[in-house]
Amino acid sequence: MKNRKRDTLVSYAWSAPSLLLIGLMVVFPILYTGYISLTNMNVYHWFDFTIVGLENYFRALFVFDSGFLSALLATIAWTVVNMVLQLVIAFVLANLLNIKKLRFRKLYKTILMFPWAMPGYVGILLWKTGMFNTQFGLLNQWMEKLGHEAVRWLSSDVSAFICCTVVNLWLALPFMIMIMDGALQSIDRSYYESARLDGAGAIAQARYITIPAMKPIIAPAVIITVFTTFKQFDVVYLLTQQAGAKTGSGFHTILTYAYENAFITNNYGYSSAISIIIFILLILFSAKFQLKEDNA
Amino acid sequence: MKRFLSILLCICLTLTLVGCGSQGVDSKNANKLVIWHDKEDAVIDALQAYLTAAVPDLEIVFEKKTSLTDSLKLVGNDPSAAPDLFIFAHDKIGVFAEMGILAPIESLLEENALADYLPMTLDAATYKDTLYQLPLYFETLLFMYNRRYMQDEEVPATTDELLEYMQNNTGRGRYGFVEQHSTAYYSAAWIHGFGGSIIDENGVPFPDAQAVKDALNYHAQFVALMPGETEYNTVNTLFLEGKADATIGGPWMVPSARAAEIDLGIAPMPTVDATGKPLAPYSGVQGIHVLKFAAEQKTEAVKKLLAALTAPEIGIDLALASGCAPANALCYDDERVANDELVQAMRATAEIAIPMPNIPEMDVMWTVVGNLLTDVNLSGKGIDESFDAALAQANQLIDAMK
Repeated sequence: MKNRKRDTLVSYAWSAPSLLLIGLMVVFPILYTGYISLTNMNVYHWFDFTIVGLENYFRALFVFDSGFLSALLATIAWTVVNMVLQLVIAFVLANLLNIKKLRFRKLYKTILMFPWAMPGYVGILLWKTGMFNTQFGLLNQWMEKLGHEAVRWLSSDVSAFICCTVVNLWLALPFMIMIMDGALQSIDRSYYESARLDGAGAIAQARYITIPAMKPIIAPAVIITVFTTFKQFDVVYLLTQQAGAKTGSGFHTILTYAYENAFITNNYGYSSAISIIIFILLILFSAKFQLKEDNA
Repeated sequence: MKRFLSILLCICLTLTLVGCGSQGVDSKNANKLVIWHDKEDAVIDALQAYLTAAVPDLEIVFEKKTSLTDSLKLVGNDPSAAPDLFIFAHDKIGVFAEMGILAPIESLLEENALADYLPMTLDAATYKDTLYQLPLYFETLLFMYNRRYMQDEEVPATTDELLEYMQNNTGRGRYGFVEQHSTAYYSAAWIHGFGGSIIDENGVPFPDAQAVKDALNYHAQFVALMPGETEYNTVNTLFLEGKADATIGGPWMVPSARAAEIDLGIAPMPTVDATGKPLAPYSGVQGIHVLKFAAEQKTEAVKKLLAALTAPEIGIDLALASGCAPANALCYDDERVANDELVQAMRATAEIAIPMPNIPEMDVMWTVVGNLLTDVNLSGKGIDESFDAALAQANQLIDAMK
């Protein structure tokens, strides 16, 4: 009994540095944001702020207007479309990479990993200028060669949504391909041999062996990607909403919308309240998703 | 081995935490002044060289900060982490003054030290009747043209002439004139040309609604003859590659234009035919600000530094080093400055330029006006509908600041 108690204490002692780091880097900012959301910290009360209770939360509800609701719907659509495309494309590419006797496999893998190695900010601006720019972009150079007029790719909601999706896929696919590639390699080859002896075709093998075997391995990666996609800011903001470089598209995710309608006010109390509400939304979304996973 | 590694990691972590806690607590030398800035090397080199000679008993350390304003918001009242002074444009004065980190500087200056300063620069540096910045130099937008395509006699004196020139010289991948048409900083010139403004000194957005609508309506004809992109890189590249004959740009474009061997002409801003007023751009006054604790704890050192910076020599040095337009009018008596076409053009524009508002409310108006211009110019929405939405957003955001 005494030994067990000592072992527990020793375990906690060894974990303490990691727990402390997690506490400092993850838990403390959340708690501090929660605290600031209850204060009137803004330009006029920067260092002498006081507790104002839930006042900021009541005011924040005004931001959650019809504009916020359409941004929320657009964010859900954005998450679903991106996740479906990511899973399908990554699955196909990972399978292609695992074809027996494939030559230059490592070269292909390196090329496919390349977007991951590039800083997101640089990659996004490269797409914006190099591909979508009306004057100098590659797409319009092609359009011109084909005898068509230049297109403003990022100016309407739908085309901006599609362009943002393409860039997001470019940035996110390496991670998903890597996870799926690893998952595919962990599946015992003997299952496929037995299936082939039983007369199963490629689709049946994928449906009854590959996908069920991969599921538990890729599940954490999928959950992580769902959340990074849901709280996406960089791709949408830098491509279409950047101050001084707006394109005319009205496509907003909840974060770009909240940024434009709250975060620029320098009112940290108010902005923190909105952040906490978005955080709660994400937690609810996460809990729902996690429950589904558990049931599955 | 594992245990050794774990202990080593624990020690590293503890040292890091202790290190973070104690950083910058050491006592600062009363003659050492740290100045944050975000300026190009030419400006800082000129300042450093001048100050080393002018105030040899002071140790001046310039530190470049890319996100200077955000850093100041975090540490502005912490003497162990904040600088003593910083160099920045005047438009954040209201924010920092309201936050309580800026010291009024009039009491730190010698009597009549500002007597020769251009009034526009002092207006810009004043917030709620208090001077918070010692202006060093200013920037405004200028009408620039490529003499290879636009001859001196073709330079439009009025906006109608500019429109006619654009109609005659735009097409097949070429543009008569380009500008960042849907950004607030650039289109402010058009709004001012119609007698309107983005925000008044009391924080009221769009005090003359009709003037703003008229400007948007008139400006739309020009936008139709410009590229769909409104961002800096596209506009800049079009002009520098000789695909656009003229542009409205800042002095920061001049070195690139000269490097691209463009025969650059600079002309006065065209006048709006309907109002008789010139396009009046915003001006940005770059100057030095003193943090409150530095003014209290290092008063003598700060006074010496400011006294040195009010001398016309530094303005001349800056003008010669990087084409800055000095805030001190005495600098323009220098023959070399008087012969600099760029500096003189900016001085002339200073007569009509309007300092960017330095009230905190302006922070949100950049976004509001950007959205309004995007809606009208790029999304094709109606002016009245877009203006009403912008006004509502402005009021909501200004209210949310408090």
